[in-house]
Amino acid sequence: MAIELTDANFEELVVKSDKPVIVDFWAEWCGPCRMIAPFINEIGAEFEGKAVVGKLDVDANNGVAVKYGIRNIPTVLFFKNGQVADKQVGACQKKALVEKLEKLL
Amino acid sequence: MLFPDKLEDIASFANLELLSKQVVEGFITGLHKSPFHGFSVEFAEHRLYNPGESTRFVDWKLFARSEKLFVKRFEEETNLRANLILDISSSMLFPHNEKKNKLYFSVICAAALIHMLRNQRDAVGISLFDNEIRLKTGARISAVHSKWLYGELEKLVDPQFSALKRETKASEAIHVLAESTHRRSLTILFSDFISHESISDIFSALQHLRFKKHDVIVFHVFDSKFEMDFDYSNRPHRFIDMESEEELKLNPNEIREFYSKKMKEYKEDLIFRCGQNQIDIVEADINKSFSQILMPFIIKRARLY
Repeated sequence: MAIELTDANFEELVVKSDKPVIVDFWAEWCGPCRMIAPFINEIGAEFEGKAVVGKLDVDANNGVAVKYGIRNIPTVLFFKNGQVADKQVGACQKKALVEKLEKLL
Repeated sequence: MLFPDKLEDIASFANLELLSKQVVEGFITGLHKSPFHGFSVEFAEHRLYNPGESTRFVDWKLFARSEKLFVKRFEEETNLRANLILDISSSMLFPHNEKKNKLYFSVICAAALIHMLRNQRDAVGISLFDNEIRLKTGARISAVHSKWLYGELEKLVDPQFSALKRETKASEAIHVLAESTHRRSLTILFSDFISHESISDIFSALQHLRFKKHDVIVFHVFDSKFEMDFDYSNRPHRFIDMESEEELKLNPNEIREFYSKKMKEYKEDLIFRCGQNQIDIVEADINKSFSQILMPFIIKRARLY
């Protein structure tokens, strides 16, 4: 399962994490976001202990979305050592996300 | 409803367009189910609306609900141009005097591919050759165009078309096609590769296609029973070259082993050379099912774009 990220806990759970982190920027009203949501949850379960998988609602947490210049949703950012290492914009297959995450492990 | 899977399932030649539809539907049924539910596959993301840009793709329903201005973005649809090339030389009419010969098999496969390509909005054209190009059409999507293609293919299985002595000069024809097809396309060749010209000449022509950045799939059409296993009864036979009408009297048992060995070597050489030139080659045995043709095509299509 993916963890819920907010403006408040983003720094601690993502930027300071010693594991690779993937963050799904989503919104409730966005169809493609709901399409990839099950993949994100599955990846969260499959990579438990190896990577952190989180979801950030851009409506409720505007600060982080603005900081990382998120203009399109869904956007999935891949973090390593607090830095953005990769990016996936738009709905995609689970395989594409897994491949990008595995490169960071 | 029963769908034809092999040549023998096709009782008589009816309407080619209908037949191709049945072949494809029989193949597609049960092949896959869509992994997506409820959403359009193409609708990929929402992007913030930039003031000044066209309002055409603004998600107005979302705006009505939440006063947010977002633009719907769709996955780019790729379109392919496919060129089906059929060898219509006399050797393709083997087994002779049987309606269901190599050409018949190739025509049905080509018609099924046209149907599949049309369904996914890909442009398709056909070219026919023996010792020269007999027909070359452009690649188009329209229904009128595909009807014309079906009509041209139907002519090939007309009994009046079975005149002998049409030699193969695949290399010349392919060189001309490579030169005249300017836009990058997927070239699908149906041939038995039985010809008086050397295999090196044919491959130099196929290399020409590759040089022009075309993707190539070759369907090597053969009848495994007679052409590979040489499964003739043990009595003297008269073998006639369908292209030159040269005759040879032989007892099949005497040459079976040598012949099969040579044919196997030839087939392996074809596969090796295709591998060298990054050409996909598919063995198309007319005694086997149509899925041997359609499946490699689907795999190739998925890999291309």
